[in-house]
Amino acid sequence: MTDQVLWYTTRGAGAVSLVLLTAVVGLGILSSLRFEATGWPRFLTAGLHRNLALVTLVFLGLHIVTAVVDPYTNLGWAAAVIPFSSYYRTFWLGLGTIAAELLAAIGITTVARGYIGPRAWKIVHWLAYAAWPIGVIHGLGTGTDAWSAWFFALTCACIALVGFAVVYRLGVSRDPLADPRAAFRAAVDRRLRP
Amino acid sequence: MIKQRLLAGPDLSQGPERLASHVQRLGPPPSIGPALIDVVEHSGLTGRGGAAFPVGAKWRAIARVQAQEPVVVVNGAEGEPRSLKDQVLMTARPHLVLDGAILAARALKTCRIEVVIGESHHAARGSMSAALAERPEPELRQARIVIAPARYVAGESSAIVHLVGSGIARPTSRPPSMHEAGVDGRPTLVQNIESLAHVALIARYGAGWFGPGTVLITAVGAVSAPGVLEVESGTSVREVFKTAGGGSHGMRAILLGGYFGAWVGADQAWDLPLDPVVLRGRGLTLGCGVVGFLHDAACGVCETARIMRYLASESSAQCGPCFFGLRALADAIARIGEPGSNTEDLARLHRWSQEVSGRGACRHPDGAVMLLRSALAVFAEEFANHPPHWRAEPSQPRRIA
Repeated sequence: MTDQVLWYTTRGAGAVSLVLLTAVVGLGILSSLRFEATGWPRFLTAGLHRNLALVTLVFLGLHIVTAVVDPYTNLGWAAAVIPFSSYYRTFWLGLGTIAAELLAAIGITTVARGYIGPRAWKIVHWLAYAAWPIGVIHGLGTGTDAWSAWFFALTCACIALVGFAVVYRLGVSRDPLADPRAAFRAAVDRRLRP
Repeated sequence: MIKQRLLAGPDLSQGPERLASHVQRLGPPPSIGPALIDVVEHSGLTGRGGAAFPVGAKWRAIARVQAQEPVVVVNGAEGEPRSLKDQVLMTARPHLVLDGAILAARALKTCRIEVVIGESHHAARGSMSAALAERPEPELRQARIVIAPARYVAGESSAIVHLVGSGIARPTSRPPSMHEAGVDGRPTLVQNIESLAHVALIARYGAGWFGPGTVLITAVGAVSAPGVLEVESGTSVREVFKTAGGGSHGMRAILLGGYFGAWVGADQAWDLPLDPVVLRGRGLTLGCGVVGFLHDAACGVCETARIMRYLASESSAQCGPCFFGLRALADAIARIGEPGSNTEDLARLHRWSQEVSGRGACRHPDGAVMLLRSALAVFAEEFANHPPHWRAEPSQPRRIA
């Protein structure tokens, strides 16, 4: 029975991680669009993005740990750390390992942002755009439920949401505050240099 | 109770005290060196820039870093708009401040001293540069005066380090902490003017003499004689009110500690002791020593709205929660002031203020939120039922506190 619980937990945590990560990526794009409304000032987007990202890491950790300790799969810890080292579904599991490590890099650089500076942090943060699709492909490739109706619909919804957000971000939107921001920055710089 | 230590000596109206008069009155600064750190620590002196951090502990942390020669930065930026005490001290007793600076430099075994003064503090700048020219000590002869822009955040210690090092008075995120790597990567002491002046006297008379010490208070608002007072630490708000000439109105609330301080309802405030450590223990702060009196015909909501708008505009636009969060809070409190206000805004103020606190590189958002939260508690009735006078008056509400 115990191995069954671990197996179900792995699958469930994987699905939850997908949904959460999609929301985090969507909120990240939303904050780069500088969305705001009277009841939703911009800093709330960033706060929700951060908090959901932390929850994502928790579920991702659960997904990985339960998969590794499950005696039935016998994956071993090396497979969780070294991409493409697993005897079982080498390619598809390797993608999952890469996605998890990219997200870990984003998490670690965020904690260490004071040391590494905002520029390096931002460069690493762009890895999110790689981690999300790699994670999705990992799910489709090796997910036990991948081709069941509910999970397939969920995956499609996630792809549609992030796809729409990326297209909107790149194609349609123009930063509405670009000019005022530039003017404000210039004014701040002027005033801070006596 | 009035007790003149820093402001003892010739009347303040006579302008800057010259070196001859200063030395005749107090003698030259004693040569103590690193032993002064123990003395300052035993005196219990706390920093007077707002954070009330123990001065001795700060010096000891810097002395322990032996990698490079430290830098002593004398902080006279005084960015708090209602505070005058640092300017008064620099203008009237420049040599007391410089004594403190030289004693700090010798305690930390360095000869590099930088003096930061706010750009609009003209009298203080004149007095301090004249005083520097009078000093015989080589450390002070080569000390540099750095002008800080008249911005609220410019006096924050990491902004001061940034200003001295690169000319930009914008707070930076930590780590590294400045006592390890500040100006030019050296261990850096950023110390408020008033704290250094106290050190100058502690070095002469000893740790035991200091006792509870004195504090410089800037009394502002609805009092007949606003201005800077030196009182014994622990003096009550009521006594400061009387000393500042009293007022003709009843009082609604007291703003304790300036714009990063807190409102206290007048009933609770009168007997509060103005002591940095005691106030801290009660969840309040003496901050930079501003005590503002709001009379009972004034509106605490409008006054707080004005201060929040100011603090939002003083963000250095580096951190989202500060720049956007304080603006959202200032907008929400302004809407409460308007007739037919959105009833959700009160709930938003409570909710958002929790999201903003602790989320900036410096403490700017935290300070603003502390003030806002105290206003929500003290003026709860006015917030819930705000009279429609905000738009009715064409002019800005009176600057009370």
